[in-house]
Amino acid sequence: MELPGRKVAVVGMGGAFPTCTNLSDFCRKIFSNQSLIREWDEAVAFGKNIRSTVSGYITDAEMGLDTIYSTLMEHNYPETYIDKLNRIPETNLATADIGSIWAMLGSMDAIKMAGWSVPETESEKTGVIIGSGGAGNVILRSAWHNFYELGKKTRVAGAHTVDRTMVFREAANVTCLIKNKGICESIGSACATGLGNIGYAYRLIKFGLQDRVIAGGVEGTSLETFIGFDGMQVLSRGFSASESSRPFDINRNGFVCSFGGGIVALEEYEMAKARGATIIAIIDGYFNNGDGDSDMFYPSFSGQKRLWQGLLAESGKKPDVVKVHGTSTHAGDPIELFSVVDVLGEDGFHISAPKSQFGHMLGAAGSVEFIASLLMLKEQMVIPCLNSINLNTELEPFQTEPGWVGPLKPMAAYRDLIPQKSLVKEVNTVTCLNYGFGGTNSAISISRDI
Amino acid sequence: MMERKEIIEGLVEILKTVRTINPDKLSVITEETDFIKDLNTPSTEMINIVAKTEQKFDVEFEDDDIDNLGSKVKNVVDLILKSKDKA
Repeated sequence: MELPGRKVAVVGMGGAFPTCTNLSDFCRKIFSNQSLIREWDEAVAFGKNIRSTVSGYITDAEMGLDTIYSTLMEHNYPETYIDKLNRIPETNLATADIGSIWAMLGSMDAIKMAGWSVPETESEKTGVIIGSGGAGNVILRSAWHNFYELGKKTRVAGAHTVDRTMVFREAANVTCLIKNKGICESIGSACATGLGNIGYAYRLIKFGLQDRVIAGGVEGTSLETFIGFDGMQVLSRGFSASESSRPFDINRNGFVCSFGGGIVALEEYEMAKARGATIIAIIDGYFNNGDGDSDMFYPSFSGQKRLWQGLLAESGKKPDVVKVHGTSTHAGDPIELFSVVDVLGEDGFHISAPKSQFGHMLGAAGSVEFIASLLMLKEQMVIPCLNSINLNTELEPFQTEPGWVGPLKPMAAYRDLIPQKSLVKEVNTVTCLNYGFGGTNSAISISRDI
Repeated sequence: MMERKEIIEGLVEILKTVRTINPDKLSVITEETDFIKDLNTPSTEMINIVAKTEQKFDVEFEDDDIDNLGSKVKNVVDLILKSKDKA
Protein backbone atom coordinates (compact mmCIF):
# COMPACT_ATOMS: atom_id res chain seq x y z
CA MET A 1 0.00 0.00 0.00
CA GLU A 2 0.93 3.66 -0.12
CA LEU A 3 3.94 4.76 1.86
CA PRO A 4 3.17 7.94 3.82
CA GLY A 5 5.02 11.00 2.57
CA ARG A 6 6.11 9.39 -0.66
CA LYS A 7 5.17 11.50 -3.70
CA VAL A 8 5.58 10.96 -7.42
CA ALA A 9 6.86 13.56 -9.86
CA VAL A 10 6.82 13.70 -13.64
CA VAL A 11 10.33 14.61 -14.77
CA GLY A 12 10.42 13.79 -18.48
CA MET A 13 8.28 13.22 -21.55
CA GLY A 14 8.51 12.32 -25.20
CA GLY A 15 6.45 10.75 -27.92
CA ALA A 16 5.12 10.54 -31.44
CA PHE A 17 2.54 13.07 -32.56
CA PRO A 18 0.77 13.31 -35.94
CA THR A 19 2.21 15.98 -38.28
CA CYS A 20 4.66 17.10 -35.57
CA THR A 21 8.44 16.99 -35.78
CA ASN A 22 8.90 16.89 -32.01
CA LEU A 23 7.36 17.73 -28.64
CA SER A 24 7.87 21.49 -29.10
CA ASP A 25 6.11 21.37 -32.46
CA PHE A 26 3.24 19.42 -30.84
CA CYS A 27 3.01 22.03 -28.07
CA ARG A 28 2.97 24.92 -30.53
CA LYS A 29 0.31 23.34 -32.73
CA ILE A 30 -2.15 22.33 -30.02
CA PHE A 31 -2.09 25.70 -28.30
CA SER A 32 -2.48 27.53 -31.61
CA ASN A 33 -5.74 25.66 -32.28
CA GLN A 34 -4.45 23.51 -35.13
CA SER A 35 -5.87 20.17 -36.15
CA LEU A 36 -3.43 17.27 -36.59
CA ILE A 37 -6.03 15.20 -38.48
CA ARG A 38 -5.65 14.59 -42.21
CA GLU A 39 -7.32 12.76 -45.04
CA TRP A 40 -5.51 9.41 -45.09
CA ASP A 41 -4.43 8.21 -48.53
CA GLU A 42 -4.10 4.61 -47.30
CA ALA A 43 -7.79 4.59 -46.35
CA VAL A 44 -8.93 6.50 -49.42
CA ALA A 45 -7.28 3.83 -51.59
CA PHE A 46 -9.93 1.33 -50.50
CA GLY A 47 -12.78 3.36 -51.99
CA LYS A 48 -16.26 2.35 -50.96
CA ASN A 49 -14.98 -0.59 -48.92
CA ILE A 50 -14.01 1.77 -46.14
CA ARG A 51 -16.37 4.20 -44.46
CA SER A 52 -14.14 6.83 -42.82
CA THR A 53 -10.98 8.23 -44.40
CA VAL A 54 -9.64 10.74 -41.87
CA SER A 55 -7.03 10.05 -39.21
CA GLY A 56 -4.31 11.51 -37.07
CA TYR A 57 -1.77 9.15 -38.62
CA ILE A 58 2.03 9.30 -38.62
CA THR A 59 4.16 8.17 -41.54
CA ASP A 60 7.56 6.47 -41.35
CA ALA A 61 9.18 9.47 -43.02
CA GLU A 62 7.77 11.85 -40.41
CA MET A 63 9.50 9.79 -37.70
CA GLY A 64 12.80 9.55 -39.60
CA LEU A 65 12.15 5.87 -40.27
CA ASP A 66 11.91 3.63 -43.30
CA THR A 67 10.46 0.15 -43.76
CA ILE A 68 12.36 -2.66 -45.46
CA TYR A 69 9.86 -5.11 -46.90
CA SER A 70 10.67 -8.80 -47.14
CA THR A 71 11.65 -10.17 -50.53
CA LEU A 72 10.40 -13.59 -49.40
CA MET A 73 6.87 -12.57 -48.54
CA GLU A 74 4.11 -10.90 -50.50
CA HIS A 75 1.75 -8.17 -49.31
CA ASN A 76 4.29 -5.85 -47.73
CA TYR A 77 5.67 -7.85 -44.84
CA PRO A 78 8.03 -5.55 -42.88
CA GLU A 79 11.32 -7.42 -42.57
CA THR A 80 12.77 -4.65 -40.45
CA TYR A 81 12.91 -0.89 -40.08
CA ILE A 82 15.67 1.64 -40.68
CA ASP A 83 16.30 4.54 -38.34
CA LYS A 84 17.59 7.14 -40.76
CA LEU A 85 18.76 9.31 -37.86
CA ASN A 86 20.74 6.48 -36.21
CA ARG A 87 19.07 6.85 -32.83
CA ILE A 88 18.36 3.16 -32.22
CA PRO A 89 20.84 0.24 -32.67
CA GLU A 90 20.05 -2.29 -35.41
CA THR A 91 19.65 -5.14 -32.91
CA ASN A 92 16.86 -3.22 -31.19
CA LEU A 93 15.20 -2.28 -34.47
CA ALA A 94 15.17 -5.97 -35.45
CA THR A 95 12.79 -6.86 -32.61
CA ALA A 96 10.47 -3.86 -32.93
CA ASP A 97 7.28 -3.04 -34.75
CA ILE A 98 6.64 0.61 -35.59
CA GLY A 99 4.89 1.34 -32.29
CA SER A 100 7.76 -0.18 -30.32
CA ILE A 101 10.18 2.08 -32.19
CA TRP A 102 8.09 5.09 -31.24
CA ALA A 103 8.11 3.84 -27.64
CA MET A 104 11.91 3.57 -27.69
CA LEU A 105 12.30 7.06 -29.17
CA GLY A 106 9.86 8.53 -26.65
CA SER A 107 11.64 6.77 -23.80
CA MET A 108 15.01 8.12 -24.92
CA ASP A 109 13.60 11.65 -25.03
CA ALA A 110 11.92 11.27 -21.64
CA ILE A 111 15.10 9.95 -19.98
CA LYS A 112 17.14 12.74 -21.55
CA MET A 113 14.69 15.35 -20.26
CA ALA A 114 14.66 13.67 -16.83
CA GLY A 115 18.44 13.75 -16.70
CA TRP A 116 18.76 10.21 -15.34
CA SER A 117 22.31 8.89 -15.24
CA VAL A 118 23.18 5.50 -16.75
CA PRO A 119 23.34 3.84 -13.29
CA GLU A 120 19.97 5.37 -12.39
CA THR A 121 18.42 4.20 -15.67
CA GLU A 122 19.86 0.69 -15.34
CA SER A 123 18.94 0.36 -11.68
CA GLU A 124 16.83 -2.39 -10.11
CA LYS A 125 14.61 0.43 -8.90
CA THR A 126 13.82 1.64 -12.42
CA GLY A 127 10.82 0.10 -14.18
CA VAL A 128 9.20 0.17 -17.62
CA ILE A 129 5.40 0.12 -17.87
CA ILE A 130 4.16 0.65 -21.43
CA GLY A 131 1.21 -0.78 -23.32
CA SER A 132 -0.82 -0.48 -26.48
CA GLY A 133 -4.41 -1.08 -27.47
CA GLY A 134 -3.89 -3.48 -30.35
CA ALA A 135 -1.47 -6.19 -31.37
CA GLY A 136 1.26 -5.76 -33.99
CA ASN A 137 -1.45 -5.86 -36.61
CA VAL A 138 0.62 -4.59 -39.56
CA ILE A 139 2.98 -7.54 -39.21
CA LEU A 140 0.34 -10.14 -38.31
CA ARG A 141 -1.90 -9.35 -41.29
CA SER A 142 0.82 -10.03 -43.81
CA ALA A 143 2.37 -12.96 -41.94
CA TRP A 144 -0.95 -14.76 -41.67
CA HIS A 145 -1.88 -14.06 -45.29
CA ASN A 146 1.40 -15.50 -46.55
CA PHE A 147 0.97 -18.65 -44.47
CA TYR A 148 -2.74 -19.34 -44.83
CA GLU A 149 -3.57 -17.96 -48.25
CA LEU A 150 -0.30 -18.20 -50.14
CA GLY A 151 0.91 -21.44 -48.57
CA LYS A 152 4.33 -20.21 -47.58
CA LYS A 153 6.47 -21.85 -44.91
CA THR A 154 6.51 -20.29 -41.46
CA ARG A 155 10.26 -19.67 -41.71
CA VAL A 156 10.00 -17.14 -44.52
CA ALA A 157 8.54 -14.69 -41.98
CA GLY A 158 11.78 -14.94 -40.02
CA ALA A 159 12.16 -14.99 -36.26
CA HIS A 160 10.48 -11.72 -35.34
CA THR A 161 6.76 -12.32 -35.71
CA VAL A 162 6.29 -12.90 -31.99
CA ASP A 163 8.50 -10.23 -30.44
CA ARG A 164 7.09 -7.61 -32.80
CA THR A 165 3.40 -8.45 -32.30
CA MET A 166 2.94 -9.65 -28.72
CA VAL A 167 1.17 -7.77 -25.99
CA PHE A 168 4.07 -6.23 -24.00
CA ARG A 169 6.21 -5.69 -27.12
CA GLU A 170 6.70 -1.95 -26.46
CA ALA A 171 7.78 -2.49 -22.86
CA ALA A 172 9.99 -5.43 -23.91
CA ASN A 173 11.74 -3.37 -26.56
CA VAL A 174 12.23 -0.37 -24.29
CA THR A 175 13.70 -2.44 -21.47
CA CYS A 176 16.11 -4.15 -23.90
CA LEU A 177 17.17 -0.70 -25.07
CA ILE A 178 17.61 1.10 -21.74
CA LYS A 179 18.69 -1.99 -19.72
CA ASN A 180 16.73 -1.20 -16.56
CA LYS A 181 16.62 -4.04 -14.03
CA GLY A 182 13.32 -3.25 -12.34
CA ILE A 183 9.72 -4.18 -13.06
CA CYS A 184 8.76 -4.43 -16.73
CA GLU A 185 5.09 -5.00 -17.59
CA SER A 186 2.21 -3.81 -19.76
CA ILE A 187 -1.25 -2.81 -18.64
CA GLY A 188 -4.06 -3.31 -21.13
CA SER A 189 -7.35 -1.46 -20.66
CA ALA A 190 -8.51 -0.66 -24.21
CA CYS A 191 -8.72 3.09 -24.70
CA ALA A 192 -7.73 3.71 -21.07
CA THR A 193 -4.43 1.87 -21.67
CA GLY A 194 -2.22 4.96 -21.96
CA LEU A 195 -3.41 6.39 -18.67
CA GLY A 196 -3.66 2.97 -17.05
CA ASN A 197 0.04 2.30 -17.59
CA ILE A 198 0.96 5.68 -16.12
CA GLY A 199 -1.37 5.10 -13.18
CA TYR A 200 0.11 1.68 -12.49
CA ALA A 201 3.62 3.13 -12.75
CA TYR A 202 2.64 5.87 -10.29
CA ARG A 203 1.51 3.23 -7.82
CA LEU A 204 4.77 1.28 -8.15
CA ILE A 205 6.63 4.37 -6.98
CA LYS A 206 4.01 5.50 -4.48
CA PHE A 207 3.99 2.03 -2.90
CA GLY A 208 7.78 1.98 -2.68
CA LEU A 209 8.39 -0.81 -5.21
CA GLN A 210 10.27 1.39 -7.70
CA ASP A 211 11.97 4.80 -7.59
CA ARG A 212 11.75 5.59 -11.30
CA VAL A 213 9.48 4.33 -14.09
CA ILE A 214 9.27 4.92 -17.82
CA ALA A 215 5.55 4.73 -18.54
CA GLY A 216 3.00 5.35 -21.24
CA GLY A 217 1.03 4.05 -24.18
CA VAL A 218 1.57 3.67 -27.90
CA GLU A 219 -0.55 2.90 -30.95
CA GLY A 220 1.45 2.49 -34.14
CA THR A 221 -0.10 3.60 -37.43
CA SER A 222 -2.08 0.66 -38.77
CA LEU A 223 -4.92 0.53 -41.26
CA GLU A 224 -5.49 -3.00 -39.96
CA THR A 225 -6.42 -1.46 -36.60
CA PHE A 226 -8.45 1.34 -38.20
CA ILE A 227 -10.76 -0.93 -40.22
CA GLY A 228 -12.02 -2.77 -37.14
CA PHE A 229 -13.47 0.46 -35.81
CA ASP A 230 -14.59 1.47 -39.29
CA GLY A 231 -16.66 -1.68 -39.50
CA MET A 232 -18.32 -0.84 -36.19
CA GLN A 233 -19.69 2.36 -37.80
CA VAL A 234 -18.27 4.39 -34.92
CA LEU A 235 -15.88 6.62 -36.86
CA SER A 236 -16.56 10.18 -37.94
CA ARG A 237 -17.51 10.76 -41.57
CA GLY A 238 -18.87 13.53 -43.73
CA PHE A 239 -16.72 16.36 -42.40
CA SER A 240 -13.46 17.81 -43.65
CA ALA A 241 -10.47 16.33 -41.86
CA SER A 242 -9.94 19.25 -39.46
CA GLU A 243 -13.66 19.39 -38.62
CA SER A 244 -14.20 15.66 -38.22
CA SER A 245 -13.43 15.37 -34.50
CA ARG A 246 -16.01 17.54 -32.72
CA PRO A 247 -16.57 16.49 -29.10
CA PHE A 248 -19.80 17.81 -27.57
CA ASP A 249 -20.98 19.39 -30.85
CA ILE A 250 -24.55 18.45 -31.74
CA ASN A 251 -23.48 17.26 -35.19
CA ARG A 252 -20.72 14.91 -33.99
CA ASN A 253 -21.06 11.47 -35.53
CA GLY A 254 -18.12 9.42 -34.28
CA PHE A 255 -14.48 9.51 -33.31
CA VAL A 256 -11.44 9.91 -35.50
CA CYS A 257 -9.19 6.83 -35.31
CA SER A 258 -5.64 8.07 -34.78
CA PHE A 259 -2.19 6.89 -33.84
CA GLY A 260 0.66 8.15 -31.68
CA GLY A 261 2.79 7.56 -28.64
CA GLY A 262 3.23 9.20 -25.26
CA ILE A 263 6.00 8.25 -22.83
CA VAL A 264 6.74 9.91 -19.47
CA ALA A 265 9.48 9.54 -16.89
CA LEU A 266 8.16 9.29 -13.33
CA GLU A 267 10.37 9.58 -10.24
CA GLU A 268 9.97 9.63 -6.49
CA TYR A 269 9.60 13.31 -5.71
CA GLU A 270 12.27 13.76 -3.01
CA MET A 271 14.86 11.93 -5.10
CA ALA A 272 14.08 14.11 -8.09
CA LYS A 273 14.29 17.29 -6.01
CA ALA A 274 17.54 16.18 -4.38
CA ARG A 275 19.29 15.83 -7.71
CA GLY A 276 17.94 19.16 -8.94
CA ALA A 277 15.56 17.78 -11.55
CA THR A 278 12.93 19.97 -13.16
CA ILE A 279 9.57 18.88 -11.78
CA ILE A 280 7.08 19.03 -14.64
CA ALA A 281 4.20 17.99 -12.39
CA ILE A 282 3.30 16.13 -9.23
CA ILE A 283 0.81 13.29 -9.44
CA ASP A 284 -1.80 13.96 -6.76
CA GLY A 285 -3.61 10.67 -7.14
CA TYR A 286 -4.79 7.94 -9.48
CA PHE A 287 -8.00 5.96 -9.33
CA ASN A 288 -9.56 3.40 -11.64
CA ASN A 289 -12.67 1.27 -11.53
CA GLY A 290 -15.26 -0.61 -13.59
CA ASP A 291 -18.81 0.16 -14.62
CA GLY A 292 -20.13 -3.17 -13.38
CA ASP A 293 -23.16 -3.01 -15.65
CA SER A 294 -22.47 -5.84 -18.13
CA ASP A 295 -22.24 -3.38 -21.03
CA MET A 296 -19.13 -3.67 -23.20
CA PHE A 297 -19.49 -0.31 -24.93
CA TYR A 298 -21.97 2.12 -23.39
CA PRO A 299 -20.51 4.57 -20.85
CA SER A 300 -21.84 4.57 -17.31
CA PHE A 301 -22.82 7.73 -15.46
CA SER A 302 -22.66 5.96 -12.12
CA GLY A 303 -19.32 4.37 -12.99
CA GLN A 304 -17.84 7.76 -13.81
CA LYS A 305 -19.33 9.30 -10.67
CA ARG A 306 -17.67 6.61 -8.58
CA LEU A 307 -14.45 7.25 -10.49
CA TRP A 308 -14.51 10.91 -9.47
CA GLN A 309 -15.33 10.10 -5.87
CA GLY A 310 -12.39 7.72 -5.70
CA LEU A 311 -10.00 10.19 -7.29
CA LEU A 312 -11.06 13.15 -5.15
CA ALA A 313 -10.79 11.05 -2.01
CA GLU A 314 -7.15 10.39 -2.89
CA SER A 315 -6.09 13.70 -4.41
CA GLY A 316 -8.32 16.10 -2.50
CA LYS A 317 -7.91 18.61 -5.31
CA LYS A 318 -10.57 20.22 -7.46
CA PRO A 319 -9.06 20.79 -10.90
CA ASP A 320 -8.74 24.02 -12.86
CA VAL A 321 -9.06 21.98 -16.05
CA VAL A 322 -10.70 18.64 -16.70
CA LYS A 323 -9.02 16.92 -19.61
CA VAL A 324 -11.90 14.73 -20.74
CA HIS A 325 -11.91 11.53 -22.78
CA GLY A 326 -14.24 13.46 -25.14
CA THR A 327 -14.31 11.11 -28.11
CA SER A 328 -16.91 12.89 -30.28
CA THR A 329 -19.37 10.00 -30.07
CA HIS A 330 -23.10 10.36 -29.51
CA ALA A 331 -23.23 8.43 -26.26
CA GLY A 332 -19.87 9.18 -24.70
CA ASP A 333 -19.78 12.95 -24.67
CA PRO A 334 -23.03 13.83 -22.83
CA ILE A 335 -22.56 11.14 -20.17
CA GLU A 336 -19.05 12.41 -19.50
CA LEU A 337 -20.07 16.08 -19.46
CA PHE A 338 -22.90 15.39 -17.03
CA SER A 339 -20.74 13.31 -14.70
CA VAL A 340 -18.14 16.09 -14.61
CA VAL A 341 -20.60 18.88 -13.76
CA ASP A 342 -22.49 16.66 -11.34
CA VAL A 343 -19.28 16.27 -9.33
CA LEU A 344 -17.56 19.63 -9.83
CA GLY A 345 -20.51 21.99 -10.26
CA GLU A 346 -21.20 24.38 -13.08
CA ASP A 347 -18.27 26.77 -12.86
CA GLY A 348 -14.74 27.28 -11.58
CA PHE A 349 -13.06 25.01 -14.13
CA HIS A 350 -12.74 24.42 -17.87
CA ILE A 351 -13.08 21.33 -20.00
CA SER A 352 -10.36 20.46 -22.48
CA ALA A 353 -10.84 17.87 -25.23
CA PRO A 354 -7.55 17.17 -27.04
CA LYS A 355 -9.14 14.52 -29.27
CA SER A 356 -10.76 17.46 -31.09
CA GLN A 357 -7.28 18.23 -32.40
CA PHE A 358 -5.65 14.86 -32.97
CA GLY A 359 -8.42 12.29 -32.74
CA HIS A 360 -8.55 9.13 -30.66
CA MET A 361 -5.15 7.42 -30.38
CA LEU A 362 -6.65 4.28 -28.79
CA GLY A 363 -3.97 2.74 -26.53
CA ALA A 364 -1.93 5.93 -26.77
CA ALA A 365 -4.84 8.29 -26.08
CA GLY A 366 -4.40 8.43 -22.31
CA SER A 367 -0.66 8.98 -22.40
CA VAL A 368 -0.55 11.56 -25.20
CA GLU A 369 -3.42 13.43 -23.55
CA PHE A 370 -1.51 13.17 -20.25
CA ILE A 371 1.39 14.89 -21.99
CA ALA A 372 -1.03 17.49 -23.37
CA SER A 373 -2.16 18.05 -19.78
CA LEU A 374 1.44 18.45 -18.60
CA LEU A 375 1.82 21.09 -21.30
CA MET A 376 -1.25 22.91 -19.96
CA LEU A 377 0.48 23.18 -16.59
CA LYS A 378 3.67 24.34 -18.29
CA GLU A 379 2.12 26.85 -20.68
CA GLN A 380 -0.63 28.05 -18.32
CA MET A 381 -3.15 27.61 -21.11
CA VAL A 382 -6.18 25.42 -21.71
CA ILE A 383 -6.21 23.22 -24.79
CA PRO A 384 -9.45 23.86 -26.71
CA CYS A 385 -12.33 21.74 -27.85
CA LEU A 386 -12.25 22.49 -31.56
CA ASN A 387 -15.47 22.22 -33.53
CA SER A 388 -17.70 22.20 -30.45
CA ILE A 389 -19.73 24.85 -32.27
CA ASN A 390 -23.30 24.02 -31.36
CA LEU A 391 -24.28 22.17 -28.22
CA ASN A 392 -27.66 20.51 -27.86
CA THR A 393 -30.19 22.94 -26.38
CA GLU A 394 -32.59 20.10 -25.65
CA LEU A 395 -32.31 17.30 -23.14
CA GLU A 396 -30.65 14.07 -24.21
CA PRO A 397 -33.19 11.22 -24.47
CA PHE A 398 -31.68 9.41 -21.49
CA GLN A 399 -32.17 12.51 -19.32
CA THR A 400 -35.93 12.07 -19.52
CA GLU A 401 -35.91 8.41 -18.62
CA PRO A 402 -36.97 7.22 -15.20
CA GLY A 403 -34.00 6.45 -13.05
CA TRP A 404 -31.77 9.25 -14.44
CA VAL A 405 -30.21 10.93 -11.45
CA GLY A 406 -27.85 13.33 -13.22
CA PRO A 407 -28.19 16.96 -14.30
CA LEU A 408 -31.50 18.02 -15.84
CA LYS A 409 -30.10 20.76 -18.03
CA PRO A 410 -29.13 20.28 -21.70
CA MET A 411 -25.51 20.19 -22.81
CA ALA A 412 -25.76 23.78 -24.04
CA ALA A 413 -26.16 24.94 -20.42
CA TYR A 414 -22.45 24.19 -19.97
CA ARG A 415 -21.20 26.14 -22.99
CA ASP A 416 -18.97 28.38 -20.89
CA LEU A 417 -17.00 25.41 -19.59
CA ILE A 418 -15.94 24.31 -23.09
CA PRO A 419 -13.61 26.75 -24.88
CA GLN A 420 -13.53 26.50 -28.68
CA LYS A 421 -10.12 28.18 -28.78
CA SER A 422 -7.14 27.81 -26.47
CA LEU A 423 -7.46 29.89 -23.36
CA VAL A 424 -4.92 31.60 -21.13
CA LYS A 425 -5.57 31.14 -17.42
CA GLU A 426 -3.90 30.01 -14.23
CA VAL A 427 -3.70 26.22 -14.41
CA ASN A 428 -2.46 24.59 -11.22
CA THR A 429 -4.29 21.27 -11.30
CA VAL A 430 -5.55 19.12 -14.18
CA THR A 431 -7.65 15.97 -13.96
CA CYS A 432 -7.22 13.49 -16.82
CA LEU A 433 -10.04 11.07 -17.67
CA ASN A 434 -9.99 8.05 -19.98
CA TYR A 435 -12.35 5.12 -20.43
CA GLY A 436 -12.22 1.88 -22.36
CA PHE A 437 -14.35 -0.92 -23.78
CA GLY A 438 -15.43 -3.29 -21.08
CA GLY A 439 -16.46 -0.40 -18.84
CA THR A 440 -13.01 0.38 -17.49
CA ASN A 441 -12.42 3.92 -16.20
CA SER A 442 -9.21 5.73 -15.21
CA ALA A 443 -8.57 9.13 -13.68
CA ILE A 444 -5.42 10.92 -12.58
CA SER A 445 -4.82 14.30 -11.00
CA ILE A 446 -1.65 16.31 -11.65
CA SER A 447 -0.49 19.62 -10.23
CA ARG A 448 2.27 22.15 -10.62
CA ASP A 449 5.07 21.96 -8.06
CA ILE A 450 4.36 25.25 -6.29
CA MET B 1 26.55 -27.14 -60.89
CA MET B 2 27.44 -23.92 -59.12
CA GLU B 3 30.93 -23.65 -57.76
CA ARG B 4 31.45 -23.09 -54.03
CA LYS B 5 33.06 -19.70 -54.67
CA GLU B 6 30.01 -18.56 -56.58
CA ILE B 7 27.74 -19.72 -53.76
CA ILE B 8 29.79 -17.83 -51.16
CA GLU B 9 29.51 -14.67 -53.24
CA GLY B 10 25.74 -15.15 -53.26
CA LEU B 11 25.72 -15.66 -49.50
CA VAL B 12 27.61 -12.41 -49.01
CA GLU B 13 24.91 -10.63 -51.01
CA ILE B 14 22.32 -12.09 -48.63
CA LEU B 15 24.34 -11.10 -45.56
CA LYS B 16 24.49 -7.52 -46.84
CA THR B 17 20.70 -7.35 -46.42
CA VAL B 18 20.83 -8.43 -42.77
CA ARG B 19 21.13 -5.13 -40.93
CA THR B 20 22.24 -6.65 -37.62
CA ILE B 21 25.48 -7.81 -39.28
CA ASN B 22 28.26 -5.26 -39.49
CA PRO B 23 28.89 -4.82 -43.25
CA ASP B 24 32.60 -4.13 -42.60
CA LYS B 25 33.01 -7.80 -41.68
CA LEU B 26 31.73 -9.02 -45.04
CA SER B 27 34.91 -8.26 -47.00
CA VAL B 28 36.71 -11.39 -45.77
CA ILE B 29 34.14 -14.15 -45.85
CA THR B 30 35.60 -17.65 -46.26
CA GLU B 31 34.30 -21.18 -45.92
CA GLU B 32 35.46 -21.16 -42.29
CA THR B 33 33.72 -17.92 -41.35
CA ASP B 34 31.31 -18.57 -38.47
CA PHE B 35 28.07 -16.59 -38.65
CA ILE B 36 27.71 -16.45 -34.88
CA LYS B 37 31.30 -16.19 -33.64
CA ASP B 38 32.90 -14.20 -36.44
CA LEU B 39 30.03 -12.04 -37.70
CA ASN B 40 28.19 -11.66 -34.37
CA THR B 41 24.98 -12.59 -36.14
CA PRO B 42 22.14 -12.78 -33.62
CA SER B 43 21.03 -16.43 -33.56
CA THR B 44 17.47 -15.29 -34.29
CA GLU B 45 18.61 -13.97 -37.68
CA MET B 46 19.89 -17.36 -38.86
CA ILE B 47 16.46 -18.55 -40.02
CA ASN B 48 16.06 -15.36 -42.04
CA ILE B 49 19.40 -16.07 -43.74
CA VAL B 50 18.35 -19.67 -44.38
CA ALA B 51 15.04 -18.62 -45.94
CA LYS B 52 16.74 -16.02 -48.13
CA THR B 53 19.25 -18.67 -49.17
CA GLU B 54 16.47 -20.99 -50.29
CA GLN B 55 15.01 -18.22 -52.41
CA LYS B 56 18.29 -17.02 -53.91
CA PHE B 57 19.56 -20.47 -54.87
CA ASP B 58 16.13 -21.88 -55.70
CA VAL B 59 16.36 -24.80 -53.29
CA GLU B 60 14.18 -26.19 -50.53
CA PHE B 61 15.83 -27.37 -47.32
CA GLU B 62 14.46 -30.12 -45.10
CA ASP B 63 13.54 -29.18 -41.53
CA ASP B 64 15.94 -31.82 -40.19
CA ASP B 65 18.80 -30.34 -42.22
CA ILE B 66 18.04 -26.85 -40.91
CA ASP B 67 17.88 -28.18 -37.34
CA ASN B 68 21.31 -29.76 -37.76
CA LEU B 69 22.89 -26.92 -39.71
CA GLY B 70 26.26 -25.71 -38.42
CA SER B 71 27.03 -22.04 -38.07
CA LYS B 72 29.89 -21.85 -40.57
CA VAL B 73 29.64 -20.65 -44.16
CA LYS B 74 30.80 -24.05 -45.43
CA ASN B 75 27.87 -25.72 -43.68
CA VAL B 76 25.42 -23.61 -45.66
CA VAL B 77 27.36 -24.18 -48.90
CA ASP B 78 27.28 -27.93 -48.29
CA LEU B 79 23.54 -27.86 -47.64
CA ILE B 80 22.88 -25.88 -50.81
CA LEU B 81 24.85 -28.35 -52.90
CA LYS B 82 23.22 -31.35 -51.17
CA SER B 83 19.77 -29.89 -51.79
CA LYS B 84 20.56 -29.16 -55.43
CA ASP B 85 21.79 -32.73 -55.85
CA LYS B 86 18.50 -34.07 -54.51
CA ALA B 87 16.53 -31.83 -56.84
